[in-house]
Amino acid sequence: MTEEHKKYIKKRKVRKCVIVGLQAGILLLFIGAWELVAYLKIVDPFIISSPSRIVKIIGELYRGSNLFPHIFATLYETVLGFLLSTVMGTVIAIILWWSPVIKDVAEPYLITLNALPKIALGPIIIIWVGAGKASIVTMAVLICIVITIISVLTGFLSVDKEKIMLLKSMKATKMQIFAKLVFPANLPTIISVLKINVGLSWVGTIMGEYLVSREGIGYLIVYGSQVFQLDLVMASTVILCLLAALMYGGVALLEKFIAKKF
Amino acid sequence: MILQIENLSFTYHSKDTETKAVDDMNFSVNEGEFLGIVGPSGCGKTTILNLLAGIETPSSGRILLRGEPLSSKGNEIALMPQRDQLFEWRTIEKNVFLGLEILKKNTPENKAYGRELLEKYGLKDFLKKHPSELSGGMRQRVALIRTLVTAPSVLLLDEPFSALDFQTRLNVCDDVHSIIKQEKKTALLVSHDINESISLCDRIIVLSARPAKIKADVKVDLDKSLTPLQRRESPRFSKYFEEIWRLLEVRK
Ligand SMILES: Nc1ncnc2c1ncn2[C@@H]1O[C@H](COP(=O)(O)OP(=O)(O)OP(=O)(O)O)[C@@H](O)[C@H]1O
Ligand SMILES: [Mg+2]
Repeated sequence: MTEEHKKYIKKRKVRKCVIVGLQAGILLLFIGAWELVAYLKIVDPFIISSPSRIVKIIGELYRGSNLFPHIFATLYETVLGFLLSTVMGTVIAIILWWSPVIKDVAEPYLITLNALPKIALGPIIIIWVGAGKASIVTMAVLICIVITIISVLTGFLSVDKEKIMLLKSMKATKMQIFAKLVFPANLPTIISVLKINVGLSWVGTIMGEYLVSREGIGYLIVYGSQVFQLDLVMASTVILCLLAALMYGGVALLEKFIAKKF
Repeated sequence: MILQIENLSFTYHSKDTETKAVDDMNFSVNEGEFLGIVGPSGCGKTTILNLLAGIETPSSGRILLRGEPLSSKGNEIALMPQRDQLFEWRTIEKNVFLGLEILKKNTPENKAYGRELLEKYGLKDFLKKHPSELSGGMRQRVALIRTLVTAPSVLLLDEPFSALDFQTRLNVCDDVHSIIKQEKKTALLVSHDINESISLCDRIIVLSARPAKIKADVKVDLDKSLTPLQRRESPRFSKYFEEIWRLLEVRK
């Protein structure tokens, strides 16, 4: 390693340290200020809660063995909604790519569905699917699937025409064109859709839980606000942040893995 | 005679127009010949190659390969597209194996042949690299080897050097010429560049503006043992240039 390269590496390390340091600093500062404002009663802690109260209530939930059942309920719905919508959305996009006729027929419906605020369908879903987990998952799927179909299909359709011609000149079948070109060329698109879906499936699940549930993080938030227990609302929100970040991290890991393989 | 094109016509249809791109074309190509096709921009050159490659079906007329109509299977005719169109997510050797995979002929022997070609033509150290790690000239060589590895008898080259800078272009031109001659292939080359066509080809077909018709069939009588670069030095080179340039210039 040359002197210059060593310097470069060092510089990068320093930069990384500064960034992580700043990130942690901001978080600590925020928590500290929050705690202080609540402790000094500058704002009533009954309204804004405080970090120590949040920790306390999470502890209470845990001791009353209420914490993990709620987390798992929500996590289960979200992951299920996420997987279902990604897989179904991709499969539908494949079908629409395969048959231009079906694609053209479906287009106005897709556009309308995409523009529709899915929450408006909540009551209908509850009546049709029943007030339970199935409704919540349906909500999550509904929110994610349209955007999945549209993004993935757009990716499929934007594959270089000349590359398709090349494969046709090799007498490739449609199946081969898909498997050798269209799908691998769009793996990055699919990954970015996954990332969007992580966020959207949380939106769907929490919205669903607001409407119907008797358990889950969304339920805790609604319940907390109904009994005006802001500590519970805040604690649930913090847990939600952590879970969402965790799931996003999972997808990022998957991306790295795929990037390595291809 | 390896290829015969008889009364070939082709029309593109779109919502509000139809475009006649090829009009009643007749020509033939001899085994081992390097045939050039020059013509004004948009006259239908790529269309002719697409018809020969089986990507489009003729509106009328027919194409005979060794006296038989083109079949929808097989790999007798291979296309090298305008830009190299290497797949970035595949390594160099995997790019070369693409045609073999499509034809379900990716046997160990055929793959070994692909690697052998890559090594023979100076890409030994790049088998496991990705296309973005190669220079434009090297990429073009990989694209050529990708068309060679399925052992076709006819190669279709659509402006294979248009994406390269002038210096690289001259070198790659020599490379491609020597590879095609060594592998004893018949080749059809579409090019805008008259100089390039004369330096590479044994015969040049000059096309009219769209719809493409054959205006002239010029036999290039230069020493076949010379490289394209050396051919450019020969005294008769400029005579051919002038002849073809005039043909292209004159309308109708
Ligand atoms: N898919 C298509 N649909 C309709 N018209 C087309 C299509 N492809 C080509 N054309 C038209 O057919 C004519 C011939 O096109 P072609 O691509 O064969 O020309 P070319 O000689 O290869 O041109 P260039 O020198 O610019 O590459 C052009 O006028 C073009 O506008
Ligand atoms: Mg063209």
